[in-house]
Amino acid sequence: MNRLRRYSLPYLVWMGIFILIPTVVLLILAFSDLSLYRPGTFRLSLANFAIFSLPTTQRAIWNSFRFAGIAAAICFIIGYPVAFYLSKLGIRVRKILISLLIVPLWSNMLLRINAWEKIFTANSIVTDVFGLSISLVGTDAAIVLGMVAMYLPFMVFPIFSVLEKMDPKLVEAARDLGANDVQTFFRVVFPLSGGGVISGFVMTFLPALTTFVLPAYLGLGKYTLIGTLIESKFIKEAADSRALSINQGSLISLFLMILSITAFLLVIRVDKEGETLI
Amino acid sequence: MRKVLRDRLYKGIGLTFLAATLLILYAPILVILVLSVNDSRRGYAWEGFTLKWYSALFTGSALTEPILNTLAVAFTATAVATVLGTIFAIGINALEKKRRVKMVLLNNIPVVNPDIVTAISLMIVFSLLSLTFGFGTVLLAHIFFSMPYVILSILPALRKLDANLYEAGLDLGCSRGQAVTKVILPNIATGIFSGAMMAFTMSIDDFVITYFTSGANYMNVSTWLYSKLRLPQAFTPAAYAYNIIIFAVTIAVIVSSNLVNVRKERLKNEKIG
Amino acid sequence: MSKKMIVLNHIYKSYGDLKVLDDFNLYINENEFITLLGPSGCGKTTCLRLIGGFEAPDSGTIEFDGKIINGLEPNQREINTCFQKYALFPHLDVFGNIAFGLRLKKIPKEEITQRVEEVLRLVKMEGLGSRTVSTLSGGQQQRVAIARAIVNRPKVLLLDEPLGALDLKLRQEMQYELKEMQKELGITFVYVTHDQEEALTMSDTIVIMNEGKILQIGTPEDIYNEPKNRFVANFIGESNLFEGIMHEDYLVEFCGRSFECVDKGFRKDEPVDVVIRPEDFDFVPPSKGKIVGIVDSLLFKGVHYEINVIVDGREYTIHTTKFRDIGVKVGLSVDPDNIHVMKRSGA
Repeated sequence: MNRLRRYSLPYLVWMGIFILIPTVVLLILAFSDLSLYRPGTFRLSLANFAIFSLPTTQRAIWNSFRFAGIAAAICFIIGYPVAFYLSKLGIRVRKILISLLIVPLWSNMLLRINAWEKIFTANSIVTDVFGLSISLVGTDAAIVLGMVAMYLPFMVFPIFSVLEKMDPKLVEAARDLGANDVQTFFRVVFPLSGGGVISGFVMTFLPALTTFVLPAYLGLGKYTLIGTLIESKFIKEAADSRALSINQGSLISLFLMILSITAFLLVIRVDKEGETLI
Repeated sequence: MRKVLRDRLYKGIGLTFLAATLLILYAPILVILVLSVNDSRRGYAWEGFTLKWYSALFTGSALTEPILNTLAVAFTATAVATVLGTIFAIGINALEKKRRVKMVLLNNIPVVNPDIVTAISLMIVFSLLSLTFGFGTVLLAHIFFSMPYVILSILPALRKLDANLYEAGLDLGCSRGQAVTKVILPNIATGIFSGAMMAFTMSIDDFVITYFTSGANYMNVSTWLYSKLRLPQAFTPAAYAYNIIIFAVTIAVIVSSNLVNVRKERLKNEKIG
Repeated sequence: MSKKMIVLNHIYKSYGDLKVLDDFNLYINENEFITLLGPSGCGKTTCLRLIGGFEAPDSGTIEFDGKIINGLEPNQREINTCFQKYALFPHLDVFGNIAFGLRLKKIPKEEITQRVEEVLRLVKMEGLGSRTVSTLSGGQQQRVAIARAIVNRPKVLLLDEPLGALDLKLRQEMQYELKEMQKELGITFVYVTHDQEEALTMSDTIVIMNEGKILQIGTPEDIYNEPKNRFVANFIGESNLFEGIMHEDYLVEFCGRSFECVDKGFRKDEPVDVVIRPEDFDFVPPSKGKIVGIVDSLLFKGVHYEINVIVDGREYTIHTTKFRDIGVKVGLSVDPDNIHVMKRSGA
């Protein structure tokens, strides 16, 4: 066994290159006027922080948190009972149903969002074929529902994987000790599935918080979210080299990184080996 | 009597939520399917059944190049990520507990990180290395973000193996290399396969990371869609057809591999019985 | 005397700060059934892994059949191992597992088949070659693991707690079979266990280890009857241990009384440890006993009773076939040759 250990070394180097270096660079970019594409002399400054005082930025952050928070909560409300129900089924049915939840994810995300855009548009092809006419595009609701539709499975999987592994004898033990159904659930089952719930929240909230495709289509481009800001800072405005847009973008990315590190720390407290992550 | 009623109620709630979930997940697939056989370039209304978008895929269209790019990246990235990921996973699994846990943590960083953070990190590294943005950078990016999933799906298979298996191989006359290829690999084949499948499906559907690491002139299907979905004159519904085909092929591969597994299990059981 | 098959010379081995083997010296004779016995963490498994070649010593030499084999890979040593929890290959059936080593040596097919069937017969698994290993019972897996090792005709077979996962009845059966097998094959068995009963039943020689050192080497009888120190006495069998003083040759004092004994060669009034096995006490009428106490508890153990007698506030454990009820006053006697006097540990 010991001889196999050295196989893990190159991975450390590889991860160092792609995780450590960009983090350091991002830090420097965020706190200076260094140009990413034409690195030269630079001054450290806090000037990039000005972006947080812009109303657009503030609105983007507020909207992102609001939408992602509501979407994650809805995912939890729908996802927990589903995961619980699945965990109680026989192994065959359970496997089939889990596959049914995975399969739609193999469809291109942009096209799925595009399809939701059609569903949420009145008098669209959906009306022609299914007789359904909903007018939601360009509203908060469309964005939140879109997020739920995209990320719901990522709430179900981690909770399910924890519930599935839970020893059924624990429930019997709780019943034996005098707990009724409801007490058993809230005092034993739910606390024990906490790891899955936290992973689930992280795996739905973070992608929802950072998406820029969803608001572009389902928000008809009327909404600016955090992801939209980063996209425009790194891609759309980046051509203008004097504007420091990449530095501002780096600062926002850094903010996201801190968030995701926090989330990561939360997840590893409940799941060291990453078993709930796939 | 009351217990029966209550159980029914729980089941009813579970079933309803499950049905709602499936509806939410499959509704867009259904719409894509309809759009892929709709005889209309703009897709605003139903204009009759056609299969021409499917045939357009094979005769050539604006999509041909993005599709070839997507497949080239997906196959190459999957192959590299699977081979390297397997080697790294074997190495990580052999570490003593403390280090192993740390390595797994490191491995999980890109898994938890939102795509956009990973994408920007990669973009920065590629800029620093002065790499030309295009096939190479996208491939490297895809290898990077899919490898942790490969490792995550192989590690549990390795953990299940008897810790002395490798040494038993050595003991019975294997060289070190043979002990890996003849003893370890055959026993984690399922994990490797599911890791590869995961890498492939993630790569083929990726948008965000490709978008940030591809530069202006290199497109895969997703980045092509992002730039063309708003431009009816440049867009072609062949994209819907492409999506349905990829979707069907993936399902076919998974189902058939599952069937093989089920058959193996049955054979095993027959032997016992 | 028989030939020395394996010699370990001044072996040191540490993991980090932890010294696992500390100037370890041992030789193993040809055709010997030798058992390394000790509590977990005493270095016995490490010792086995060094012989097998899975680990290298920090310093010291390992000789096999007269040649130093420190640098040899496991696959270059004429030694095979029967692993703890067996380490059977899950992707191969029983036949595939057993044939594994032979196939690597590119031995002709017919010979492989013949040799595999031969060992299957030897381990009483005829006709089960096509079974998947996961469908075997623990005892069957055990047999396959042994078959897989001995089919390669090693000169030495290393066994790392091979019976640890089996239940008591099966374990006893396998102990007997392993011993028979070793005699039939005529090869050296190096056996690692923490189970003293297993060691006593099977071994020609027992090596008692603790904290990386050898405490005593001897035949099972030697070790049981003449433990060298407190640790060995405690580890092998149950014992009553007393601190005493050796007044002169053949006279020892413990528990405030003097006893005749058969030991000699200690300094005058040297502090010693005294061990008396529970089965070596006899009940006598209280008036005739040097030791007198009250029966405190009583357990029926099948062949004998285990009786605890309180004497001057100290508990004595006695194994006897004679019944004495709780609360009864009893006298105890012990033959001089059943009093074992040992050098005081740590003194």
